Amino acid sequence: MALTGLEIYKQLPKKNCGECGTPTCLAFAMALASGKGSLDACPYVTNEAREALDSASAPPIKAIKFGNGSILGDETVLFRHDKTFYHPTTLLIEIADTLSDEEVQAKLQEIEGLEFDRVGLHYTIDGVAVVEASGSPEQFAKVVAQVAAGTERSLLLLSDNADALKAALPGVASRKPLIGSATEANYEAVVNLAKEHNVPVIIKAEGLDALAALVENAQKLGHKEFVLDPGTRTPSQTLANLTHCRRLAIKKKFRPFGYPVIAFTSKTEPLAEITEASVYVAKYASAIVLKASAKAHILPLMALRQNLYTDPQKPIQVEPILHTVGEVNENSPIYITTNFSLTYYSVEGEVEASKIPSYILPIDTDGTSVLTAYAAGKFEPEKIADILAKSGVGDKVNHRNLIIPGYVAVISGKLQEISGWKVIVGPRESSGIVSFTRAM
Amino acid sequence: MIIIGERINGMFKDIGDALRNKDAKPLQHWALKQEEGGAHYLDVNSGPAVPKEERPEAYEWMVKIIQEVSNLPLCLDSTNYDAIEAGLKHLKRPGMINSVPAERDKIERVFPMAVQYNASLIGLTMDKVGIPKDAENRIVFAMELVAAADEFGLPTDELYIDPLILPCNVAQEHAPEVLEAIRMVKTLSNPAPKTVLGLSNVSQKSPDRHLINRTYLAMAMAAGLDAAIMDANDDDLVDVAATGQILLNKSIYADSYLKVFRQR
Repeated sequence: MALTGLEIYKQLPKKNCGECGTPTCLAFAMALASGKGSLDACPYVTNEAREALDSASAPPIKAIKFGNGSILGDETVLFRHDKTFYHPTTLLIEIADTLSDEEVQAKLQEIEGLEFDRVGLHYTIDGVAVVEASGSPEQFAKVVAQVAAGTERSLLLLSDNADALKAALPGVASRKPLIGSATEANYEAVVNLAKEHNVPVIIKAEGLDALAALVENAQKLGHKEFVLDPGTRTPSQTLANLTHCRRLAIKKKFRPFGYPVIAFTSKTEPLAEITEASVYVAKYASAIVLKASAKAHILPLMALRQNLYTDPQKPIQVEPILHTVGEVNENSPIYITTNFSLTYYSVEGEVEASKIPSYILPIDTDGTSVLTAYAAGKFEPEKIADILAKSGVGDKVNHRNLIIPGYVAVISGKLQEISGWKVIVGPRESSGIVSFTRAM
Repeated sequence: MIIIGERINGMFKDIGDALRNKDAKPLQHWALKQEEGGAHYLDVNSGPAVPKEERPEAYEWMVKIIQEVSNLPLCLDSTNYDAIEAGLKHLKRPGMINSVPAERDKIERVFPMAVQYNASLIGLTMDKVGIPKDAENRIVFAMELVAAADEFGLPTDELYIDPLILPCNVAQEHAPEVLEAIRMVKTLSNPAPKTVLGLSNVSQKSPDRHLINRTYLAMAMAAGLDAAIMDANDDDLVDVAATGQILLNKSIYADSYLKVFRQR
C-alpha cells in the first residue's frame, strides 16, 4: 500500500524551506508519493513522523502466528469476491478450569474427535481455549498443563488475572500459546509477560475508542504481537465492531486496528451459538472461542468456514470420483461430465429429477466446464476411457452404455472405439436429461 | 461514470436568448432532454448573457425553474461566487460547484461554501499564471486543492479534480499529459479525489468533434476518469461511457447494459 500525498504532507514540517530540493513541502510530499524522493532529504522531519510514514507502508493487518500452525490476520479485503480471504478463522473450543480432571479429559477426548472428511477435504478444530474461572492461579496452571498434555492443538490461555497467566504460561511457553487478556487494569503486567515469553497477547477493552487507546499504550511497551478483543459480547455489536476494525485497518490504515480480531460467542444454546459464530466467520473474525463441542454442531461451522475461505478466482471442483444418485443397481445409467462444480451440480440436479438411480462420473478437468475443457484438450476420449476403467463402474453394472454431454458428440466415435463402451450422445443441456431418460 | 450535461449554458444562442427574455421554456426543455439522454447532473451556466451585477438573481431563477421539471442535481458553473452561492441556497439536493482554481483567495471563499451547502466541488489544476503543460505540475496544483479539502473539512472524494483538457488541434501535447494527471490524482489521498473533464474542449474547432470526444472519453475513463461535463445527447458518446463502465468492471454486465446505464 503506497502512501498518499496527503498522508505524507500531514507528517511534514510545512516550513517550505526548499532544502530537500523541491520548492514546497507539498511538492516534496508528491515526489515521495510517486517514489521519486527519499524522506532523508528533509532535515526537519521528526522521528514520530518518520515512524508514522514507515509503519504506514506495512501491510494493513499484521499476521499473528501462534500454537500449532495457527495464523491470524494478514487479510487485505472487506469482501471475498474482491480478492480472497487468506487465513481461515481459527476455531477454539473452551475448557473452563473449574472442571474436574475427568471432565477435562472427557472434553479433550471430544475435541480430539472433531475431525471430518467431507467431499475430499479434511476439517479439524484448531485449538483449545483454557478459561480461568476458578479464581485460583494454581488451579488454572494445573488445568493448562493437563490440556497441553492431552492435545497437540494450538492453545489459548484466557484470564483477566495477570497472576493466573504468570502461573500457567511458563510451563507451556514452548508451545507458543496465545494469551489473554491485557486490559486497562493489568496491561503492563500481561503485555510484559507476553513479551518475555515471546507469545502473542489479546488486548481487550470495552468499545473501539478504549481499544484503540489501549493498543497504543501497549505498543509503547515494545511488544508488537497483538490480537484485538473489542469487549462487547452481543452479536449485533460484535458484528459492528468486527466491521469497523477491518474497515479502519484496510481503508484508513488505522494502525491501532492493524491486528487480527478475536470473537467470543455469547449464546449458550448450541444452535444459536453456531448461528452466531457463523456471522463472525463470515465477518472478519480471525479467531472464535466456542462453548459448543458436539460434532453435529461444529461440522456445519467448519463447512461454512471452508467455503468462505476458498479462492473465488479458482473454479470450485467436485471430487473426480464415481458419484451415485439414488439407490443404484446393475441397470443404472452412467453419465459422464466434468468436475467443475457448476457443471456437475447442474447434471446431478437433473439426474435426481429424472427419478432414475444413476452413476455420474465427473472427469478431472481442473474444474472447467465441458466446452472449456474440450477446447483445452482436457476432455479427451483417451482420458475419459482411462478414468472410466479405473473407476470400477464396469463391475457395478451389467450393461456397457455411457451417456456423454451433447455438446461433445464429436468424441463419441473415438471414445466408443477406445473404451469398448457404447457411447450414447445425451442432450446438449442438462435440462434435457429428464425427457431424454424417458425416451431411452 | 458521472455525466454532467453541458447544454444549459448562455454561450448557446437559445439559452442566451432565454436568459435575456426570462423565458423558462428552453432551459426546461434542455433539462428534460439531457436527463433523457443519460445525464446525472445538469451544468448551469449563464455565460456572458447576463450582466455581472444581475448574475446572483439569474442563478437563483435558473435553479428554481430547472428544478420545477427535473430532479437531477445541479452543477453551478460560474466564476462569480456570489452567483453560485445564490443558486446553492435554492438547491433541493446536494449539488456541485464548478469551479475553483488553485488560488488561495478563491480557495478560502469556495471551500467553506462547499462544506456549508454540502456540495461537491470541481477544482482546476491552474493558478493565476495559467495551465501547466505537464502532468507533474498539474498534480502539484491538484495536491494543493486536496490539502485545502483536508484543511476546510471537505471530504476528499467530494473534490473533483479537473486537469483541464485543451483543444487537440492547437494544444495537442496536453492530451496525454492530462491522461497521466488523471492517473496520478488517485495517489493524492485516501479516499482519492474524483476526476472530471470539460470533455468538449478537446475537440474545439475541429471537424469530427463527436469522434474526438468519444475517443478521448474512453481513454480518460481507462486512466480513471470519474465524471465529464459533456454532451449528454450525443448518443454515441453516452454509449461509450456505458461501455467503458462495463469494460472497467464498474457495472455488472447485462446484454441490455446501454439501456440500463441510461436508466440510472
